[in-house]
Amino acid sequence: MATIEFRNVDKSFGPVQVIEDMNLAIGDGEFVALLGPSGCGKSTSLFMLAGIYLPSGGDILFDSSRVNEVEARDRNVGIVFQSYALYPHLSVRDNIRFPLRFKNVPADEADRRIREISDLVQISELLDRRPSQLSGGQQQRVALARALVKDPTLLLLDEPLSNLDATLRLTMRTEIKSLQERLEITTILVTHDQIEATTMADRIVCMRAGRIEQVGTPDDLYLRPASLFVAGFIGSPPINLFAGEAQNGALSVNGGSLPIAGANGSVTIGLRPEHLSFGGAGLSGRVAQLEPMGREVLYVVETEIGHVRVLQQGTAVEHPTGDAVRIDFRPTDSLVFDTTTERLIPDAEVKAAA
Amino acid sequence: MVAEATAVLNQPTQQAHWDRLAAKARFRRSARLTFLYSFLIVTSLPIIVPYFWLVTLAFSARVSTVDTSVLWPSIFVLVPAVMLTLAWSMLARSRRQALIGAAIVWAVAVLILAVIVGPNLNLNNFRFLYNAAFGAENTNIVAAKDRPGFSTTAFPWVWTAFANSLIIAGGATVIVIVVASLAAYYISRFQYPFRQSSLAAMLVLHAFPITVLLIPIFLIIWKLGLLNTLFGVILVIVGIELPLAVFIMKGFFDAVPWEIEMSALSDGATRRQAFFKVVLPQVVNGMIAVSVFVFIRGWEEFVFVLVLSTKQAKWTMSLYTFYILEDSTMGVDYGLLSAVALFYIIPSFVLYAFAQKYLMQMTVGGVKG
Repeated sequence: MATIEFRNVDKSFGPVQVIEDMNLAIGDGEFVALLGPSGCGKSTSLFMLAGIYLPSGGDILFDSSRVNEVEARDRNVGIVFQSYALYPHLSVRDNIRFPLRFKNVPADEADRRIREISDLVQISELLDRRPSQLSGGQQQRVALARALVKDPTLLLLDEPLSNLDATLRLTMRTEIKSLQERLEITTILVTHDQIEATTMADRIVCMRAGRIEQVGTPDDLYLRPASLFVAGFIGSPPINLFAGEAQNGALSVNGGSLPIAGANGSVTIGLRPEHLSFGGAGLSGRVAQLEPMGREVLYVVETEIGHVRVLQQGTAVEHPTGDAVRIDFRPTDSLVFDTTTERLIPDAEVKAAA
Repeated sequence: MVAEATAVLNQPTQQAHWDRLAAKARFRRSARLTFLYSFLIVTSLPIIVPYFWLVTLAFSARVSTVDTSVLWPSIFVLVPAVMLTLAWSMLARSRRQALIGAAIVWAVAVLILAVIVGPNLNLNNFRFLYNAAFGAENTNIVAAKDRPGFSTTAFPWVWTAFANSLIIAGGATVIVIVVASLAAYYISRFQYPFRQSSLAAMLVLHAFPITVLLIPIFLIIWKLGLLNTLFGVILVIVGIELPLAVFIMKGFFDAVPWEIEMSALSDGATRRQAFFKVVLPQVVNGMIAVSVFVFIRGWEEFVFVLVLSTKQAKWTMSLYTFYILEDSTMGVDYGLLSAVALFYIIPSFVLYAFAQKYLMQMTVGGVKG
C-alpha cells in the first residue's frame, strides 16, 4: 500500500514524445483509472510505474520517495496485462508461485498463500491445469492471483477486461472492484472503455496525446467536463456538439439561433442526449431516424441547428419517424466551450428557446 | 395455373437432368482420385525401391555382386500385400475389422517371404559391427594415398568411426544451439546499429556454396593447428550452420510476446532469469528443430572430414562408407557396402522419426525479417 506520484514526468521514444509534463498524485488505497484513446500514453505511464520504462524527465514517487531508477523486480508491483501474459510452460499453481520464487518465501508459506489467493479469486480447482486449458475469464483470474500473491504495494491493470466477452466483463468488473476494496490496494487501471473507468474507479484521469485533460470523479467528468475532448469522450451515446457564434445573448448555429448567457465569440455547445426531452416550447424539428435500444429509444431529430440525438427512457416508441417534435432541456444541463481553447466556460448556458 | 401445370409436367425431366449431373460429378471425382493415386504411386517408386534394395542387399547371403535375388521376389509379395491392406482398410466397417484384415494379409505375406527368400537371408554382411579384426583384414588402397610409404590402409573399427561422427555432430549441435539462441534473442529484442544489414549479410553468407571456401578453410585450420582433429571439423560445421540457425531461432523469439518478459521482470526476475525461466521455455521446440538439423548436417558431413582429417583414427562414418565403396583391389562388396550404409542411415532415421513434430513447427514458427 502506497501513495503514488508523477512529478513533471516526460517520456519520449527517440524523437517521439509520448508523455508530456505529467503531474498526478494518487492516494493510498485509491482506485484510479487512466482513460483515453489508444496511443494517448496511458500504457506508457503504467510501464513507468512498473519500472519497465525509465522516465525521460521528472520523477516518480512511491510514498514520497523517488523510485525512478529502482528496478522493476524491486518495486513490488503487480501487473495484469491485457493478454494476461501467463507463462505457458507452467501450471496455474507454478504461475502463481513464480513471483514468490524470487522472494525466498518458504515452501509451506508459499503454498498457504497460493491456496488463499486462489480461493479469493475462485480458481482453486484449476491449480494443476496449464494456461492453455483455461477460458479467457479463468486466465484473467489466474493473472489477478499472480499479481496479488506477492502482496503488491501497487496493482496495475492494463486493459484487463478487453479480451473478455460482454457478460463476463460485467462480472469481472464488479469482482475486481470489490476485491480492491477488500484488500485496500492502491490500484491503477488503464482502459479506453469509459464504462469500465466510470464503474470501477474512484477517480478518472482522462488523457489525450500524452497530456492529462482532466482528473476527477466519474460525475465530474460527466457533468462538468473540463474540455471538449472529455465531453466527447465520456458518455454513450455521444454528446451533441454544435459550433457557433455567440453575440449579444444570441448564439447562431448553422442558421438557427438559441439564447445564450455568459459567453461571447466562437463557442461550441454540448447537449447530452439523455438531458434532452420532448415537449415544451423548445427547438422544433422532425424525427429523422430512431433506434430502440431496449430500455431506451434513441431519436435523431432534424432541427434548424442540425441533427440532434435525443435519448428517451422507456421501451415504447412515442414519436415515429417523420413526427414533428419540440426538444427541451434545462439550461443548467447545457455545456458551453470556447471553440478555440476547447475549454469549458463555467457559468455560461444556453436555453432551448427564448 | 398455367405456370403450375408446366412445373408439374417438367418434374420428371428435371429430375433426370439432376441425376445426369450427379453421375457426372461422381465419375469426375473417382477419375481424379484414380489419377492422383496412380501418379503418387508411380512417382514414389523410384524413391522407395532403391532404399528397399539397399535393405535387401544388406541382408542377402550372396556376396560381391549386384544381387536382385531378394529384391524382386520381395517386391512381388510386398506390393500386393500393401495394396490388399489399403483396399481392405477402405472396405472394412470398423477399425477392428481393418486391423484383423491387415494382420491376416501380413501374416500370409511374411510366410510366403520366409519360404521364397528366407534361405537367401544372412547376417554375415554385418560382420564389421562385431568382428574387431575386420579392419585389419580389409585394407584400402585409396585411403593409403594419404599415407606416404603405405600401399594399403587398414579400416579403423567401425565403432571408432561411429564415435567420431557422434562427437562431430553432437559437438557442432551443442555449440550452434547455445550461440544461436543467445544471438537470436539479442537480435529479436534489441535495436542496434546495422541490425537490418547484419541480418541480410548473415543470409547472404548462407547462400555461398561452401566448397569454394575449401582451400581457405583448409589453410586456416592448418595454421590453427587443428588439422586432423575433430574440433577443427566441428568449428567449420558451426561456422556454416550458424547463420541459418540464428535466423530460424530469431523467428521463434519474435513469436514470444513482450508482456511475458515484462511480467517476469515485475514478478521479481532479473533480465537473465526472465530469459532462462520464461522466454527460453517458449522456444524449446525451435531449439529442438534446429538441433536436429545441425546434428544431421554434422552426421552426413563428408567433404570437410575428407579434407581436414587424413588420419585413419579420425575417420567418420561418411569416410568409412566412402572407403568401403572405393576399394578397388577386389571389386566392391555390395552386400558389405549396403550393410554399412544401412548402419550409417539408422541414427538419422531415428532422429527424424522422433523429431518430426518439431521440424514441422519450424515452418509454422516462421522466418520473418
